[in-house]
Amino acid sequence: MAAGGYTGRILRVQLGEGNFKVDKLPLEWIRDYIGGDGFAAKLLYEEVPAGCDPLGSHNKLIMSTGPITGTLWPMSGRTVFVSKAAQTGIWGESHVGGFIGPELKYAGYDMLVIEGQSDKPVYVLIEDSNLQILDAGKFWGMKTHEVTAAIKKEHTDPDIQIAAVGPAGERKVRFSSLIINNARAAGRTGMGAVLGAKNVKAIAIRGHGAVEVSDHEAFTTLAKAAHMRVRTNPQAQEMGKWGTWILTAVKQEIGELPTYNHRTGVFSGWEKLSGDYIRPRYTISDRACFGCSLGCKKMNYVREGPFAGTLGEGPEYEGLMAFGSGLGIADYPTTLKANQICNRYGMDTISAGATIGFAFEAFENGLITTKDTGGLQLEWGDSQAVIKLLEMIGKREGFGDILAEGSRAAAERLGRGTEQYAIHVKGLEVSGQDGRTHRSIALGHATGARGADHLRSLVVVDQLGYEKVAADRWGADKLPEIIDPYTEKYKATAVVESENAYCIRDTLIVCWYSVSWPPIFWMNDFADMLPLATGEKSFGDVKNLTRIAERQVTLKRLFNAREGITRADDNLPRRFTHDPMPEGPGKGQTVDLEPMLDDYYRLRGWDLETGLPTEKKIRSLSLEWTKKYAPSH
Amino acid sequence: MQVRSPEVVRLPSQLTVDYTKCTGCRICELACSAKHEGRFQPSLARLKIIRYDDLGIDIPNVCGPCEEAPCVEVCPVYAMRRDPISKMVFLDHDKCILCKSCVGACVNGVILLDTTEMRIIKCDHCGGDPECVKVCPTGAIQYGPISSATTFERHGKVASYLREIEHSAETQQSDGAS
Ligand code: SF4
Ligand code: SF4
Ligand code: SF4
Ligand code: SF4
Repeated sequence: MAAGGYTGRILRVQLGEGNFKVDKLPLEWIRDYIGGDGFAAKLLYEEVPAGCDPLGSHNKLIMSTGPITGTLWPMSGRTVFVSKAAQTGIWGESHVGGFIGPELKYAGYDMLVIEGQSDKPVYVLIEDSNLQILDAGKFWGMKTHEVTAAIKKEHTDPDIQIAAVGPAGERKVRFSSLIINNARAAGRTGMGAVLGAKNVKAIAIRGHGAVEVSDHEAFTTLAKAAHMRVRTNPQAQEMGKWGTWILTAVKQEIGELPTYNHRTGVFSGWEKLSGDYIRPRYTISDRACFGCSLGCKKMNYVREGPFAGTLGEGPEYEGLMAFGSGLGIADYPTTLKANQICNRYGMDTISAGATIGFAFEAFENGLITTKDTGGLQLEWGDSQAVIKLLEMIGKREGFGDILAEGSRAAAERLGRGTEQYAIHVKGLEVSGQDGRTHRSIALGHATGARGADHLRSLVVVDQLGYEKVAADRWGADKLPEIIDPYTEKYKATAVVESENAYCIRDTLIVCWYSVSWPPIFWMNDFADMLPLATGEKSFGDVKNLTRIAERQVTLKRLFNAREGITRADDNLPRRFTHDPMPEGPGKGQTVDLEPMLDDYYRLRGWDLETGLPTEKKIRSLSLEWTKKYAPSH
Repeated sequence: MQVRSPEVVRLPSQLTVDYTKCTGCRICELACSAKHEGRFQPSLARLKIIRYDDLGIDIPNVCGPCEEAPCVEVCPVYAMRRDPISKMVFLDHDKCILCKSCVGACVNGVILLDTTEMRIIKCDHCGGDPECVKVCPTGAIQYGPISSATTFERHGKVASYLREIEHSAETQQSDGAS
């Protein structure tokens, strides 16, 4: 064992050779990167060359866990997939809950790296030390739930955890996802296409081993107390009851519920997309990811109407937004059905919904017609058109083949000024927030390493009236501006500090809902826990954790810089900077991005003009090693 | 020759399960292995959560309640016995000959053979203070006296739920839905 919590081993699957290789986890990685996202960033930077094709054999798919993955710490069942992104060609990462991360640890590995390319369809079986690359010819073409059931049956083990590529990933739909055991999605940036391009249909993992922390008694006591904090937190209890659907009403109230492809922030049909409406009518059971005492997952069943018989988990708030308000649809069953199609084909709900929204708006404005769509009328609120388009995208049929490229590339292909309706940053479609009525997320969307990201730096404390938390974290002197959603002032401070804490969250790896909303755990809690888990004393210092977080953010930035990203790419769709919010509480608001960017770069120690990390910063974060891997031009 | 009739006992306190409350979080498995093995290893937990991801149900399998305990009945060497006072079934490791009969006989499938250390693993109800009950966030596992009716009701509920799901799966298929 390397240090407490880790297995100390990296498993490599070399598809070209048909081999497996087990490497030792370098000890210095632990000290400098902790785990999870951090390990993956280090490995990706070193091993995936600049400029390579994300769908080529040089790209790698990394699955990474952290020191507490598989332990009793609340909500620590999450894992991350990292790759050069199929959708954007830059840094790609996608986190997922469920049980597959712990299973990898129990099998004896901290990380899994899939390298090279297979010349025929295969799936990878990892069962402790039984490692096999198996023929997947008979599984090719299957939807994710079908291949998941088939593999479990083949190995007569219902507890195998499976990350599956669906038909969308096989066809390299740019926003295709990996689906874990039917309904957990590593959704964003196109991980399905990366694996599909490698001819891998699924990764099947089963482990029987243990995770051992450094100080078992003290860690377990702290973890149990931490669970009690989750169980007794009133907002966590609400989240457990309503899931992320609780956000619909909140977002509507503050005028930040993206509607009609982000044109506006209020939706007249919001009530039918709210937890209050959905739960009593459709929810049949509450479920949770590994080690989670909150349990935000809901199993739902539609009893009547056009989608009667649909049984499935989800969608999350983001899916309600993407297929509901975003497309003008005030109907929960449509969103459940759309979500299920996305899960079965293996597609990201946010990007799928936004790309369809792009098409709807371009159609509405006459920039595309039925000639482009193959006769399909595209109209806001038309459920059947959405369902039809999703299947066409998943199969890359007709117009679906163009939309399968994502909104940015689709707009490039279609031309005619359609790009004004492609609501993305760096090629990744904007998630369910709006910077006009929540200024800090504008900065987050613009600077996120993977594009318009709502999970790496989204501040919620500034928006939902957590005045005291804000004062504690950022200083009372910055109130009230720092919690005023309509001003740019101090927003970089809130974004940087939150991004740092989330970085540590993503190295552990714990769920967003244990740190953010409600804000239960923060840096100091991780500093209390990590030394007990790992035995690494330096993790007990918040300042050191902050430095590790800064290192991680800067390393991802350097990865993107190597692919040509600069300040000019840290932008927003014109919609947010030029079109005032048309209605609702934030009527008239627009985003003034540049001053926030200046503040952000200053705080990060990046150059104001280029937006790239300065020499001084690179040195102070001990990232000089990155130079060795710079492109040779 | 006299056939031993199964011993039926009244159970003072038992683990009881309400699967409708279970979220499948497996905190109970973690806590059980943490307490008894000193590490986090659900594969050695003395209870098991069966997750049906396609149906959205999670069913905790725990030791008991067994008024007739097959593991006791089947054990050839009386290694598996009932505590005369608590009535809890416990395993006397010194007597066990590792014949594995109890592993197959357990109605809940929660007796395990640990192939690494070659020993039988079985719930001991934490000596009357069950860890899994304390950590379960939903109250899906409880500890206390029960009437046998609850047990039957539990299985009845599962069966009717499964029937409804099966029915809906059929409807879905005949719709040709994706
Ligand atoms: S809060 Fe929800 S997403 Fe997070 S770990 Fe719990 S069940 Fe999973
Ligand atoms: S394995 Fe041991 S306890 Fe189980 S039936 Fe055989 S002898 Fe008895
Ligand atoms: S009662 Fe104790 S030994 Fe039995 S399953 Fe629960 S935690 Fe494990
Ligand atoms: S802790 Fe409770 S809710 Fe979680 S899996 Fe165990 S029985 Fe179910």
